[in-house]
Amino acid sequence: MKQTFLKILTLLFVAYSSAQSLDVSGTVSDNTGFPIPGVNVLVKDTSKGAVTDFDGNFTITNIEIGSTLTFSYIGYVTKEFVVTDNSKLTIQLEEDLAQLDEVVVIGYGTQTKKEITGAVSVVGAETIEALKPTRIEQALQGQVAGVNITSQSGSPGGGATISIRGVSTNGDSRPLILVDGNVIEDLSVLNPNDIESMNILKDATAGIYGVRAANGVILIKTKSGRKEMPLTLEYNAFGGFQETTRRIPVLNAAQYGLIVNEAFAAAGDTPPFGDLSTLGVGTDWQDKVFETAPIQSHSIMIKGGGEKSTYAYSGSFLTQDGIVGGDDSNFNRFTNNINYTLDFLENFKLTSGLTLMRTNRRNLPENSNASILFNALNNAPTLDVRDENGDFTKSIGLGAEVVNPLAQMADASDRTRVFRLSGNAGLSYNFLDHFTVQSNIQFNYSEVDVKRYNPIVDFGPGKVFNVLDEANLFEGLDYFRDYTFDAFLKYENEFNDVHKLNVLLGTSVFKTAGEFTGVNGFGLPNSIELATLENAERLVNINQNRGGINATFDSRLLSYFARVQYDYKGKYLLSAVVRRDGSTKFGPENQFGFFPSGSVGWVASDEDFLKESNFFDLLKFRASYGVLGNDRIGDFRFVSLLNGEGTYIFNDQEFIGTATGGIANPEIRWEKQKTLDIGVDMRFLNNTVDITADYFKKTTEDLLVIPEVSGLLGVGGAPVVNGGVVENEGVEFAIGYTDNFSDDFKFSVRYNVTYIRNEVISVNTDTGILEGGSFGIGQPQPSRMEAGFPIGYFSGLQTDGIYQNQAEINGSVFGNVIPQPGDIRYIDQNGDGVIDTDDNVELGSPIPDATMGLNISFDYKNFDFAAYAFASVGNEIVRNYENTNPLTNSTIYTLNRWTGEGSTNVYPRVTGGTSPNNLFSDYFVEDGSFVRLQNVQLGYSFSDKALENSKISKLRLYVAGTNLFTLTEYKGFDPTASTGAPIGGGIDQGFYPTAKQFLLGINLKF
Amino acid sequence: MKDIKIKNILSLVAFLAMFSCADDFIIVAPDDENSEDFFNTEEDYQKALVSAYDMLQATARNYQLGEIASDNTLCGGQNALDTPGYQEIDDMIHTPVNAQLREIWTWMYTGVNRTNYIMEFQDKLDFPSKTSVLAQTRFLRAYYYFQLVKWFGDVPLAVDARIQFGDQFNIERTPKAEVYTQIEQDLMFAASNLPYTQPQTGRITKGAAEALLGKVYLYQDKFTESATVLESLINNGPHRLLSSTEAPLMWENENENNIESVFEIQYSDIDGGSYDCFYCLEGNFAIGFNGVRGYVGPVFDFGFSFNVPVQEVVDAFEPGDIRLEYSILDIEQWIADNPTATYDETAGFEQTGYFNRKYIARQGDLNLPDAALTNPNNTRAIRYADVLLMAAEALNRGGISDTRAQDYLNEVRNRAMLDDVTTTGPNLTNDIYKERRVELVGEGHRFFDLVRTGRAATEIDGFQTGKHELFPIPIQEIQLAGNVWEQNPGY
Repeated sequence: MKQTFLKILTLLFVAYSSAQSLDVSGTVSDNTGFPIPGVNVLVKDTSKGAVTDFDGNFTITNIEIGSTLTFSYIGYVTKEFVVTDNSKLTIQLEEDLAQLDEVVVIGYGTQTKKEITGAVSVVGAETIEALKPTRIEQALQGQVAGVNITSQSGSPGGGATISIRGVSTNGDSRPLILVDGNVIEDLSVLNPNDIESMNILKDATAGIYGVRAANGVILIKTKSGRKEMPLTLEYNAFGGFQETTRRIPVLNAAQYGLIVNEAFAAAGDTPPFGDLSTLGVGTDWQDKVFETAPIQSHSIMIKGGGEKSTYAYSGSFLTQDGIVGGDDSNFNRFTNNINYTLDFLENFKLTSGLTLMRTNRRNLPENSNASILFNALNNAPTLDVRDENGDFTKSIGLGAEVVNPLAQMADASDRTRVFRLSGNAGLSYNFLDHFTVQSNIQFNYSEVDVKRYNPIVDFGPGKVFNVLDEANLFEGLDYFRDYTFDAFLKYENEFNDVHKLNVLLGTSVFKTAGEFTGVNGFGLPNSIELATLENAERLVNINQNRGGINATFDSRLLSYFARVQYDYKGKYLLSAVVRRDGSTKFGPENQFGFFPSGSVGWVASDEDFLKESNFFDLLKFRASYGVLGNDRIGDFRFVSLLNGEGTYIFNDQEFIGTATGGIANPEIRWEKQKTLDIGVDMRFLNNTVDITADYFKKTTEDLLVIPEVSGLLGVGGAPVVNGGVVENEGVEFAIGYTDNFSDDFKFSVRYNVTYIRNEVISVNTDTGILEGGSFGIGQPQPSRMEAGFPIGYFSGLQTDGIYQNQAEINGSVFGNVIPQPGDIRYIDQNGDGVIDTDDNVELGSPIPDATMGLNISFDYKNFDFAAYAFASVGNEIVRNYENTNPLTNSTIYTLNRWTGEGSTNVYPRVTGGTSPNNLFSDYFVEDGSFVRLQNVQLGYSFSDKALENSKISKLRLYVAGTNLFTLTEYKGFDPTASTGAPIGGGIDQGFYPTAKQFLLGINLKF
Repeated sequence: MKDIKIKNILSLVAFLAMFSCADDFIIVAPDDENSEDFFNTEEDYQKALVSAYDMLQATARNYQLGEIASDNTLCGGQNALDTPGYQEIDDMIHTPVNAQLREIWTWMYTGVNRTNYIMEFQDKLDFPSKTSVLAQTRFLRAYYYFQLVKWFGDVPLAVDARIQFGDQFNIERTPKAEVYTQIEQDLMFAASNLPYTQPQTGRITKGAAEALLGKVYLYQDKFTESATVLESLINNGPHRLLSSTEAPLMWENENENNIESVFEIQYSDIDGGSYDCFYCLEGNFAIGFNGVRGYVGPVFDFGFSFNVPVQEVVDAFEPGDIRLEYSILDIEQWIADNPTATYDETAGFEQTGYFNRKYIARQGDLNLPDAALTNPNNTRAIRYADVLLMAAEALNRGGISDTRAQDYLNEVRNRAMLDDVTTTGPNLTNDIYKERRVELVGEGHRFFDLVRTGRAATEIDGFQTGKHELFPIPIQEIQLAGNVWEQNPGY
């Protein structure tokens, strides 16, 4: 097939010869006279050109008199020069404050910032350098309007959820992320220092990625060398320590004794503590659990380039201990990255890259009722860490889940290793001046190696996490392989100097496959050293239901796409895209989807009537509309497969049977998102102020929902059906002010804000509701997707104060549990005379109304300073980290409890007996709004003079603090945390808070 | 010039379109077999049958909740809000919104669908063990339908075809009597085509089929048919009561599948799961829930103090009855006898000091990976003692023979070291009822026995005649099946 393709291209290629005239040479420098290496010098309307060498020199032979030379270099205003003779040229380039000619990657091609007609945001290397993220996602948080990041966990290596312009699906809402064209799902394996830029396609511009575009697309480009660049070596390192941002105030031993006694008395039991004054302060379990943990990162980068080639190598190492568990929750990462480009011929170019990464993460239980922090909050302060025999104390009577958190950490051994090899190679061939044919192949191979050892441990009587009889071990090794192969043809031409046309035609195939293996070993010796599967008495393969054959997956995408970009005088811009995608996720009838999108732009500042006023440096209006898809569902949901669970015991042995799994729906098709964006970009006051504002509306239709279905169909998984519409409408606004007052003082401030309104328009399931999340034990699911509400809103009872006396109860409506004075009073919304789930109302939503970010930086002489904060307004969080057992500890606000008539109308009484107080209600829903000072950095760069006699070209030292403080009313550890689930996010089971870091760093360049 | 370029581009487009022959790139065969292309070997049938057996394990819930619904036990648990579906049934205030009832509904229909999957393809292949496979399958179908009829009354009846996606909107509730007819036919087929002893423990036997058929007749007051089939089992089957010395150890795990056990549901301790999926477990999850809260000590493992017996059922045992000690655990007495033992007496809800000793966790099993969920205790679903008492009841209430009824009753009483009963007529009926309660305490039969004999309203607090004989069809199930079924009366 590909051969046919190439034949055609060869046919199109015809011999080309040009008239001969003169040779031109010269030097390019900046406005201070310093030579600029690597400047692209092109003869306009031809493929002829050169690149300046280290001294800024270039030579071009055989050009016609009257040709126009263009000199372009990132960060400088492109200059044109008409050749009249062969005298040596001296060209000075002006620094471009607006950087409108900065090239932005938009998918299978690039555009300059000025040409872009979609909502595309760029995060550059400087931002990443300034923020020192350990994960890339942190560099997006608050930096880009419309992009919201929630941390799934603050533990080292913990994940983050990226959502672009709201939650547009009930399913998997992760954007498509491509690193040098290579699909990546887990960003933790990337070294942030390797990244040159991150471009976020937020609107229909993403349409070029068709069925995978609906959640937005992030294109990451890694750093590479430049042509004619001498070898440079950079070394960047930082080290420091981390602390928790917050401890939740809980009761000390004496307070605890008082509350427990009261709870027991209220239940009619004998209070367990006698003289409270002897209890003292007791054990502060958070103090025992949290520690100051080190972090360090080193990376080197070697870059360079010759006349025809560029190269870059980078290597990095990061090691980060956890603020809980220290070394037991360590995350470390090695990365190696090589980029190489070569121009075989002037018009025949190779790009290539290879990345090798390894991470190792040690895990402790978190964000569940089994987590260390949950136990630190709930374990009794009256208990010591160890008893008189030196053994860990057992949390007797504190319920089945709460255990001594230090005992838990002492026995933990759970680690995940990831090995990943990624590569890419591309060839491009330019012919007939205006045509380029390009082909890229990208691949990933990764291994995820999990080892989890559970030694014999007795946390105390009745604890569900006890391992009493024998130690066990799980070892899993999963393999993932994917490749993307793209081939496309580009046509670029300019007619009469006013019509510029770009046409792209291409095809792409993507295949991702994998294999899951794992074995549980039982009957191990109780020693971590001997914890190997060889020492196990019995082995159980996780694939035993499949007769031991490894579970695999194989999902593929076959795509064709075309794009036309046209502009008239650079003023009137137009772009249209179509993509046809075939996906293995859908049945034969619906395998192919067709995704059109288009955008228009008007650079009003280039119109004569505005040019004269000279106020605007740029004024551009944009609009885009398109249909994008989302195919993030499981494989083969259109066919009924025998992958259900059906095991029974005969003769005391397991027999593995065959049963149908998930219910098939042959009719499923991709989610379809109609997305509209109207925006304006402007710059004025000599490019010192820039504003970008966008209005958008995204309507996702045919949502892939897994509805509840009739029990008559049996277990095994409900079908996936297309039913539901969700709408995200919002406004983004970003403003920046940058001024170079003098060579000694530069100043910049940037602010962005995003308002999003999320509303579910319909849920076409039999009940009209999808539920998710969990609260308490055995209670109905609190999160819902339902028409007329934000997706994943919290549904529960509305409280109406506290019953102050029996008379109030007698005249009121309540549920199955009869309240007593001091209990919460609920509102009978439907007036049916009973409090039950029919009285549930909306209690809030985990989706913020607005998110914003603020960056301030200035350079004064050799000092540089940067500070950065972000905020979220109007999101709610459910407090679900409190155990309700009468002997578990509680947070300090319990001291405000109801103690008698008139004492409080907010906090219920404490009781170990029956009360309706733990039903899911607004009592447990808190405002999760916050402002966080994420980063403050002060650097000092040694002057050129000081470095004159050394080989060092740049030396900078800095101190930085990250996550220094958070202003919030929220009582839990970290308001930025969420599981990220569209339905069920924002429920706090004791999230691992993101650590505060104090860092000392160095940037060194030779 | 321009035209030529356009032509070139168009021809390129045409060639790109030729790529469409590569569309087979996205035809990928799934790893797992398609459910429509199965049943090609005998092994396929056997594997489908294993899956049909699998849902028997999910009935741990039916037996536990059946006991809680009765006057034998209280719900218990951690607090009043612990598993509201259980608490409400215990208090007879349950409504059509009940997660646990919905699970019973769904799990039993899963069993029905798995048996019907085999029946749907019964003619696809002939093989030597086919009759046995079909007989076991039909027993299981009858068993699942019997559960559904007991709990919900009239239920949708699908025979020899799976209920597939879309079918749920076009299926009516079938009158109970018709469902019973199907159950009887299935059990008669099973009884005539299965042996009394199977080479593997856990397989359905002729005895199990006869015992269940006798029970199904008794539930319909078909006393003659019931007595006939039960006496056939008594006279021809291999079963007997364990002796008075063997009986106290009947509930220990080493005495599973003993000679008294006519139909026993098999569990294992080596392959557990999580709270997210009770039906996926190979362990008996009711055991951990029934256990002694916070227990430390010999013999037993801890549990969550559900399903706790009340004083009244303890008092129902006659003096000298050896069954009391092995049926109900008096935890205070136990601690007095075993001073190293302790338990968490204040933490649980509705604690009575008694626990269901037949079905609480024993030490010494592997509990992999979770002590609470992976207990190997088999459910003795039909014991020979039950068969004798059912036969006695059928003979007596059917006016067939009080003498033989007394014999069977006294066989059970004598094993418990109690004297013979000599009553006849209605008095004998009452004696049989009393015996059923104490012999079968903790085994999940009581509620349904009270309902079918019309005694529930007098024995169970809050029981309303005309309403609580049946449980409500879960409201979501009515909605999800097209909202056309009528709810059971009173709900």
